[in-house]
Amino acid sequence: MKVSIDADKCQGHGRCYEVASEVFTDDERGRGQVITAQVPDHLLAQVRSAINACPEKAISLSE
Amino acid sequence: MAEYGSGTAAMDPATEAKLQAWQQERSSDPRGYYAKLRAQCPVDFEQHLGAGGDVTVATAAVLSRGDIEEVLRNTNIFSSEMGIMGSEEPVIPLGVDPPLHAMYRRVLDPLFSPKKMAALQPTVAAQVNEMIDSFIDKGEVDFSAELAVPLPCLTFLALLGLPGEELDALVRWKDIMIRPDIVAGSREAGAELQVRTAGEIYQRFGMEMEARRDAPRDDLISYFMTVKVEDGRNLTDSEVLRILFLLLAAGLDTVTISLQAIFNYLAEHPEAQQLIQDDPDQIDNVIEELLRWETPVQNLTRIAKVDTVLSGCPIPAGTHVIAALSSGNVNEENPESLTVDLTMGDKAHLSFGGGNHRCLGSHLARMELRTVLREWHKRIPSYRIKPGTQIEWVASSLRGIDYLPLEWTPAKG
Repeated sequence: MKVSIDADKCQGHGRCYEVASEVFTDDERGRGQVITAQVPDHLLAQVRSAINACPEKAISLSE
Repeated sequence: MAEYGSGTAAMDPATEAKLQAWQQERSSDPRGYYAKLRAQCPVDFEQHLGAGGDVTVATAAVLSRGDIEEVLRNTNIFSSEMGIMGSEEPVIPLGVDPPLHAMYRRVLDPLFSPKKMAALQPTVAAQVNEMIDSFIDKGEVDFSAELAVPLPCLTFLALLGLPGEELDALVRWKDIMIRPDIVAGSREAGAELQVRTAGEIYQRFGMEMEARRDAPRDDLISYFMTVKVEDGRNLTDSEVLRILFLLLAAGLDTVTISLQAIFNYLAEHPEAQQLIQDDPDQIDNVIEELLRWETPVQNLTRIAKVDTVLSGCPIPAGTHVIAALSSGNVNEENPESLTVDLTMGDKAHLSFGGGNHRCLGSHLARMELRTVLREWHKRIPSYRIKPGTQIEWVASSLRGIDYLPLEWTPAKG
């Protein structure tokens, strides 16, 4: 599964890299960045949690 | 922001009483209050105040999660350009629309990033522990007066590079900005006091800027005076002042009331204290879930630039549109949102707003909240509200508890 952040939607709430710190990190403005685009199975739960937590619905997961 | 300020013409006592009544009902039980309003209509045209407490403008409070998100995100229709808290000119970046807004946020966001806030954390932890030192042996404290109010003020002074001795002046300023009517004794006198105080604050910040003009220091005021914005120019003095005013207006009481709401909840729920004691790593989840559940800042205001429609309701241009964050955070549209689960930190909430005006200080606020919860529970793991206390929520869109007496059994020795 592949994860991405829509940079136009991201406002820097910072939830993704807090609930899924192995998949996302923060840039100098506090916006989310993907570090592991191809998500290994054992991190999928973290990513789903980040998708739930994002107030801007900026994160998507695709095949 | 606060509901008081300009536009507060004298009202007849009956209207005043009605206003007080619904605001009190909302602060005391926001979840019940908004459930009741939602059952009537997804947009409320009857209650709620305009920007700055204006009682003369048409208002529309949007209650569904979808409408709230639309109002916060669609800046083409919903403008943020308005004065707040006695400041005639729009404060920066809160009262500025795109595209200028983006220019300011590019400069400001990095100053309040999680990494910058982590560097400030030890200072805040030391301040929290100093406060706890002063009352832990007594076995009781007014949490509001002794911690929730002074802590964000001291953090603000440290950030700006102002001496800690300014604390009393700062507490007075922010009280006048947040609730001038209570400080001054009436809405009219409060509005006047607020404008006068805003002038005083601008003047004081102006002096601090002068002191740094030739000798910059390692603080935010100096930074704002030297930073280059995108076309290579410096910020003007007026821009720096309006940024400083915003930090003061938005950065103090918001953290204070969040601390009050969270500690009130924890003090009433021993099982929540036990959860933190058993697993301090749950603190981040506890904070997120309680920020959602309590929604200390209950609403944000925009002005409709054109005629529009929300949930089938016509909203004429010029209407002050209130995004009722409380209603978006706890809402039957999403059944999971109707209960509290303190181990769930991923129920998306709008307690820091959303869209491009997402609270600039959200990472600062989270750092302060986490630091207080961590340090407090290390030293006072079990506590309760002093028996016989009637908790009174402040009847304002900033939902706090002025007097929050907590007690515990002090360690022997």
